[in-house]
Amino acid sequence: MPTIQFGDVQVEVDEDGFVQDPKQWTEDLARYLAKQEEGLDNLTEDHWKVIHYLRDYYQQFGIAPMIRKLCKDTGFDLKYIYELFPSGPAKGACKLAGLPKPTGCV
Amino acid sequence: MSATPVKEAGRPATAQRAAEAPAKGPSRGSASANPPGHDRPYLASEKDLAPLGLHWVDEAERPARARELLDKMRHYRRTFQMYMDVCTHCGACAQQCHSYLGTQDPKNMPVARADLARRIYQRYFTWTGRHLPRLVGAEDLTEETIEAWYKYFYQCNECRRCAVFCPFGIDTAEITIAMREILAYLGLVPRFLTSVGSNVLRTGNNMGIPRPALLDTVQFLEEEMKEETGKDIPIPVDQEGAEVLYNPSSSDFFSNPDTLTGAAKMFYAAGISWTLSSEIIETANFGLFFSEPLLRAHSQRLIRSARRLRVQRIVAGECGHGWRTWRMFSETIHGQLEFPITHCAEEACELLRQRRIRVDPEANPQRVTYHDPCNLARAGDIIEQPREVLRQITLDFREMIPNREKSFCCGGGSGLLMDEMMEVRMQLGKAKADSVRATGAEILCAPCAICKAQLPLVMEHHHVPVQVKGLLDLLGRAIIL
Repeated sequence: MPTIQFGDVQVEVDEDGFVQDPKQWTEDLARYLAKQEEGLDNLTEDHWKVIHYLRDYYQQFGIAPMIRKLCKDTGFDLKYIYELFPSGPAKGACKLAGLPKPTGCV
Repeated sequence: MSATPVKEAGRPATAQRAAEAPAKGPSRGSASANPPGHDRPYLASEKDLAPLGLHWVDEAERPARARELLDKMRHYRRTFQMYMDVCTHCGACAQQCHSYLGTQDPKNMPVARADLARRIYQRYFTWTGRHLPRLVGAEDLTEETIEAWYKYFYQCNECRRCAVFCPFGIDTAEITIAMREILAYLGLVPRFLTSVGSNVLRTGNNMGIPRPALLDTVQFLEEEMKEETGKDIPIPVDQEGAEVLYNPSSSDFFSNPDTLTGAAKMFYAAGISWTLSSEIIETANFGLFFSEPLLRAHSQRLIRSARRLRVQRIVAGECGHGWRTWRMFSETIHGQLEFPITHCAEEACELLRQRRIRVDPEANPQRVTYHDPCNLARAGDIIEQPREVLRQITLDFREMIPNREKSFCCGGGSGLLMDEMMEVRMQLGKAKADSVRATGAEILCAPCAICKAQLPLVMEHHHVPVQVKGLLDLLGRAIIL
């Protein structure tokens, strides 16, 4: 499994760049992944709103929320989420939030 | 904070796994010397294989083990042996295979793909192959053989279109299924498939959705339907004594909610009591793609849930291959069942015939075409029912060509949904994109979760401006509540 040497910590990621242990997530790591994985130099307030929403949901339920629920609860439509995270809610936003990659028929 | 990426993107999957367990020393030399790029899926690690009871076989032992497994397989599956024996290499299958048409790789012709197994079969298990191997093109089984198996049996979608055109009815999907099973016992499985398989064993669904998340999502969708319709349309969970156990796709709880709410509206309008089972919100049965024990375990979970909830029938949701396993294998595995298993398209069709639901086609004024998911049309008797429904719920339904049992696969079938295979997946979807483009449709109805994940990407890649929807999504719009 590939790793990212991040400061003093080795962070294990899968081949698609998803952090393997959600506990290793920090805001700094999110900024780093944003740059590396999504080509984003800055994370705006709206980015953080999505990221924190995903993390809170994951901590409560152990899985990413339905995309429509993410949109409704953040007040952002899907098009805007794609503007924020070019790879989309599953492959972009979930990755930056340190969630496991949504898998299955998606 | 500074960070040093040491991520090894683009390295061959085999090399990535070799790096994980250097002590064991399976170097996979040939793979490392010839980087496969992204023409084959990332391999599962030992850790990924463990929950499925699979293990990594050391490279040195692999060819001998593969030969034993091939010997067992030819006795276990008699069709496999027959398909090995009867091919005359007429080539009728070649131009009918979307994988060959899309990749232009001659080894993706169904006959050539099957020959990767057939040459070995002949070498060890036929008289001419044992004594005159060169005469019949028989070959020794080596590590290179196994490398080729992994690559090419994971560029087949198990769509069965070749079987429709083969004069002998040779079904390459059956060969692919058998060969992937052999690969699995060698420890060679795509990581994507083991991740789904582990989720299924843990939670009963592909995405790994636990019960509290299911309940939260269901409540959200009930509120959505209330906002939309003003009515209290329930999505019951674990309700004992309901008439129907509805078995959806877990992707309905992530990316395809309109399919689930379409089902909820249909049952509500028809006055049918129904329930989901939190034990199994998944028709998909990825065991069909690499592991018969997993296929059986998931099937047992379904029947156990139906009995526990004392339902009168099971209705399968929008999933192609899962439907094949429910319809074709359930009674083989469990013996005669006390309840029927039907498909949601059959259910909708029957309710319309009986006038138990009413619909307004004005709700779907766009031009709509229908994609026959492979496992519905070529393996599950679902061909005319969705068309009968579509003609009633849309204003402008057009057939694409080819269609029905000759329909092309979406290119994601048999679990080829992994991101690293994106380039190949787009090639595999090309034939379907051409079929859809010619219809001029605005909506592509594709009642299968794999198709729904694959087709939007394929259509965008091949510049076909169309929206992909499920059958129940469109029914949900048209139904009069």
